[in-house]
Amino acid sequence: MQKNMSDTVQVKGRSQASAQDKRHTFWKRISRNWELYLLIAPAFLYFLIFHYGPMYGIQIAFKNFLPARGITDSPWVGFDHFIRFFNSYYFWDLIRNTLTISLYQLIVGFPLPILLALAFNEIRNGWFKRTVQTVTYAPHFISVVVMAGIIVTFLSPSTGIIVKMIEWMGFSSPAFLTDPAWFKTMYVLSGVWQSTGWGTIIYLAALSAVDPQLHEAAIVDGASRWRRIWSINIPTIIPTITILLILNVGSILGVGFEKILLLQNPLNMSSSDVIDTFVYRTGLLNVQYSFSTAVGLFNSVVNALLLIAVNQVARKTSEHSLW
Amino acid sequence: MKGSFRTHSGSSTSFFQRFKAPRTATLVLSIVLGTSLLAGCSSGSSEPQVGSAESAANVNKEGFPIVKEKITLSMMGPDVGMQNWKDMPAFQEMEKLSNISFKFENPPLDSFETKKNLVFASGEYPDIFYASSLTQADEVNYGSQGILLPLEDLIDNGYAPNLKKVLDENPAIRKSITTPDGHIYSLPVINQQSIWYRSPMWYNGDFLEALNVKEADLPKTTEELYDLLVRFRDEDPNGNGKKDEIPLASVKLDDVRSWLLGAWGIYGEDIYNDANGKVHFARTEDGYREFLTYMNRLWSEKLLDHETFSQTPDQKKAKGASNQLGLFQDWHAYFTHGGKPTTKDPMFIPVKSDAVDKPAVAIHPGLSTGAFAITESNPAPEASLRWVDYMYSYDGAMLFDKGPEGLIYETVNKEDHTKKWKPLPSEYNSREDYRGTLTPNYGTPAPTLLSPDLQKGLKEDFDLWVDKQNEEKILAYDPQPPFPILYLTPEEQSEISSLRADMDTYIQQMEAKFVTGQEPLSGWDNYLATVKQMGSDRIIEIYQAAYDRWKNS
Amino acid sequence: MAAVIKESRSDRIFLLLNYVYLAIALICVLYPLVYIVSASISSPTYVNSGEMWLFPKGITFEGYQRVFENQSIWQGYANTILYTVVGTLVNLLVTIPAAYALSRSDFVGRGFFMAMFLVTMFFSGGLIPTYLLVKNLGLVNTMWALILPGAASVWNIIVARTFFQSTIPKELQEAAHIDGCTNLRLFWKIVIPLSAPIIAVMALFYGVGHWNSYFNALVYLNDESKYPLQMVLRQILVLQEMTGSGIGAATSGEAAMAMNQRADSAALLKYAVIIVSTLPIIAVYPFLQRYFVQGVMIGSVKG
Repeated sequence: MQKNMSDTVQVKGRSQASAQDKRHTFWKRISRNWELYLLIAPAFLYFLIFHYGPMYGIQIAFKNFLPARGITDSPWVGFDHFIRFFNSYYFWDLIRNTLTISLYQLIVGFPLPILLALAFNEIRNGWFKRTVQTVTYAPHFISVVVMAGIIVTFLSPSTGIIVKMIEWMGFSSPAFLTDPAWFKTMYVLSGVWQSTGWGTIIYLAALSAVDPQLHEAAIVDGASRWRRIWSINIPTIIPTITILLILNVGSILGVGFEKILLLQNPLNMSSSDVIDTFVYRTGLLNVQYSFSTAVGLFNSVVNALLLIAVNQVARKTSEHSLW
Repeated sequence: MKGSFRTHSGSSTSFFQRFKAPRTATLVLSIVLGTSLLAGCSSGSSEPQVGSAESAANVNKEGFPIVKEKITLSMMGPDVGMQNWKDMPAFQEMEKLSNISFKFENPPLDSFETKKNLVFASGEYPDIFYASSLTQADEVNYGSQGILLPLEDLIDNGYAPNLKKVLDENPAIRKSITTPDGHIYSLPVINQQSIWYRSPMWYNGDFLEALNVKEADLPKTTEELYDLLVRFRDEDPNGNGKKDEIPLASVKLDDVRSWLLGAWGIYGEDIYNDANGKVHFARTEDGYREFLTYMNRLWSEKLLDHETFSQTPDQKKAKGASNQLGLFQDWHAYFTHGGKPTTKDPMFIPVKSDAVDKPAVAIHPGLSTGAFAITESNPAPEASLRWVDYMYSYDGAMLFDKGPEGLIYETVNKEDHTKKWKPLPSEYNSREDYRGTLTPNYGTPAPTLLSPDLQKGLKEDFDLWVDKQNEEKILAYDPQPPFPILYLTPEEQSEISSLRADMDTYIQQMEAKFVTGQEPLSGWDNYLATVKQMGSDRIIEIYQAAYDRWKNS
Repeated sequence: MAAVIKESRSDRIFLLLNYVYLAIALICVLYPLVYIVSASISSPTYVNSGEMWLFPKGITFEGYQRVFENQSIWQGYANTILYTVVGTLVNLLVTIPAAYALSRSDFVGRGFFMAMFLVTMFFSGGLIPTYLLVKNLGLVNTMWALILPGAASVWNIIVARTFFQSTIPKELQEAAHIDGCTNLRLFWKIVIPLSAPIIAVMALFYGVGHWNSYFNALVYLNDESKYPLQMVLRQILVLQEMTGSGIGAATSGEAAMAMNQRADSAALLKYAVIIVSTLPIIAVYPFLQRYFVQGVMIGSVKG
């Protein structure tokens, strides 16, 4: 009701406005909401000082950085580091592995927290709910080293419990740890195990915004639980889902190196080597700040372009997007 | 892209200048300019003046104290988490002797590298790096920029009498610690105790006993070794009725490779030189192909652990503890077996193939560089050098190896340096735990001269047995270090690192494939062509040049 | 409320399946967790050989003993709690207002701010310039070096903004304006009370981040008495990681022996450290869960 009223007021105002008035309303909008600038000021200052301040460091991607000479005085080398990366024998392998691991992770790992959160939402608050929620959340805190250790122990061909279970059921177990075909599955599923519970949190918060009156009304109308999830709960969390999906696409080239490095071996390398492990290895030989920065910059540019593209799609097809 | 980054940094500058007080403006200027201001002070002076009349005047060239007026310097070194450096008796004793005290900065060992790089980048250097594992690239880069001081003049002018004596007696050490521009920027660990280039391999004594193999009958050729491994596999030497023996254990082959490569006359697993001064790259040698063929045979007959490429060292150890391993590598065999030191497990005797007359055996080079350096911020380089020089004498090495006399050991005979252990205080689990609280030279590469004298009288029966094994099974084979310790120029260094980035990955993958049979040995020519295409010849060329330079210096 | 109405048959089946699904999830996750707890008190040989697979075998408390014999651990706990509490407060003070401002469609310049924030998600100057900045601001070796450089995360701001956009009814804002309510008042009196779930989530995300972080401490702190828990635990683990295959030129026979002794407890320590460092933060979670209950917020407005 009020919304409609204010809309008409605006429309009326706009149609009558001259150019001068337009500027007038612009300033009016700013001055009316000046307090919002106060609210955003701390974040603005923070990003300006702590992110834009050091941003000049990116130039070392185009330089041969010598720590003692400092960032500004190191010699320029243009695109040398990028060319070296593109010319790497493994360049296309790295891109392919990075993309497939990321997409695999996205396809399997993204929907599961949503399902789990919806399931949690259906049951009453009691010890069972609290227990399951806390237990599924706990693996998030296991360090990568221990996580990798557990994976190797569970999948060891001679003693691993999972291998033994498969053999006990009468099958012959695949060589999970050394077969390149299994690496990505091993990596992604262990990640799902570790992070699904943690991932539900954000959806649970979003679900808490569902208006209980809607449910009551739907129940009165005889809607089943399934129906209510579908037409009340899911639409409520759709904005969150969309935004998280866009953000995830924006980090598709960053897989992280620690866990992969710990699970990598010469036999599965053809499917396990990703951009981040490559950079890590190259850096080990010699502290190559410039080269790592260049590869990082390449990743960022690609990620940023993907994010922009996905956001455009989201803008066109839904009402939720980053901007 | 480039343009937009510039804009960002530009806008932040103007923001700061507009909104902050003038004092901050200079600060911001230095943020934006990075370390250039600091670097500007030092670069350009290609032959920096080391020390000054003033700092030298305070120093006694002989005896203690080192300085007449007490001075305090800052020192950076890695912390292994046993004891704060300022509370270590070795430093406290040394301060009393020398009149030099220290302010310590000790990042944990595993993050030392990160901190060290930040220290260089930020321009706030400690006066001294101790046990710092400076890389050769660090030394060459920071040395040429004047951040690390050249030490050779001070050494030759009498501020390091003990070290000078060692260098004069061993010209090869001097060659190895001198960078291509002719300066010495760091002092080394000189280790006359170490023999092993890699920890040795050991036979399982229980297995040998069960199969009735005497130590004298241990394999001396690759075929004999093969036969013994087959017996380990088939004759149930651990007597549990199960066929669970693993004749040869390994983790990614890194542990056994260099020992077995010797059977085909190859001294090291990477770059090595032969007696004629020719540099080789092991991974493209014919002998390496023979090694791969042999390992593939061991693999396909289940003589080499099929978990070689996937297991962790801990898992290998667990197999050793349940008495499944026949031949394995470790520092001592009982580390893998568990339990107390035992002389039951004999050391592997180098084996040879038909291709050579005698096996090639590698020995520890006895030296590692980058252990100690003095920076340009040090107000007393002469005193600092005299301080560290003490570590290259018997007394100083002893002080920093075992702590002050009377704590963990006491001298029995002052003349011939015989010592004995003192009883261990009850709060410590082992002598090493105690030693780690006395001195920083515990698990860190500290500047010192580790002579055999340091251990005189302190060796136990087990140590003497190991010495004898070394004598018979390593030293008797005319061992040589695979490659001398030498410096590359920054250009050589960066060319090598960019060539090796892909090549090492490829070699590592192909080795695993050849050994496990995923790639037949007929693929060798292809492999060789690819490695050459990736620049192996160029790598050999660079190292050959560096070797010649080293040899002729 | 809803529970008064009797569930239909299909709903009961649905609910049953739902419980089964959650039970399976519980078991899948629980087993490795039990394994970790068991491994932290079992002899490492049994753990590494796979003989210990559920219940502890060769029980030993050496791992915990080693952790707690280190005196700095309590100091570490105290520091971590301080850094987490202060850090999270700063995070919330920066994030929540910014997210709210960005959620307002009538906020002029919102596109500019979004773009400015988003760019930092992809491009950063790297460690060295950031270190120099922190150093020049005089923050090195203070608590603020751990807090200010991470005062907000774009990701969290966006998530919070999305929450505000989809849950704070526009009508509410407009009504407030018409009533002459200022933006600050609106934010403080109406938006904040309505946002308990997102504030709880943000507190959790940031808090856990502070609790687990060690890298900033490693880079910016020199004084060991200021080390947070994770740094103390890392220091305990360092010695164990020195083991390896004895390739290092500097290790003497004696050092190798000491490291071997410690290697036995290394595996134990690895698991014990996980438990010691995460139990407190896991214990916090059930308390936060009550903020996620459906209907908390709308109920509070309309009710």
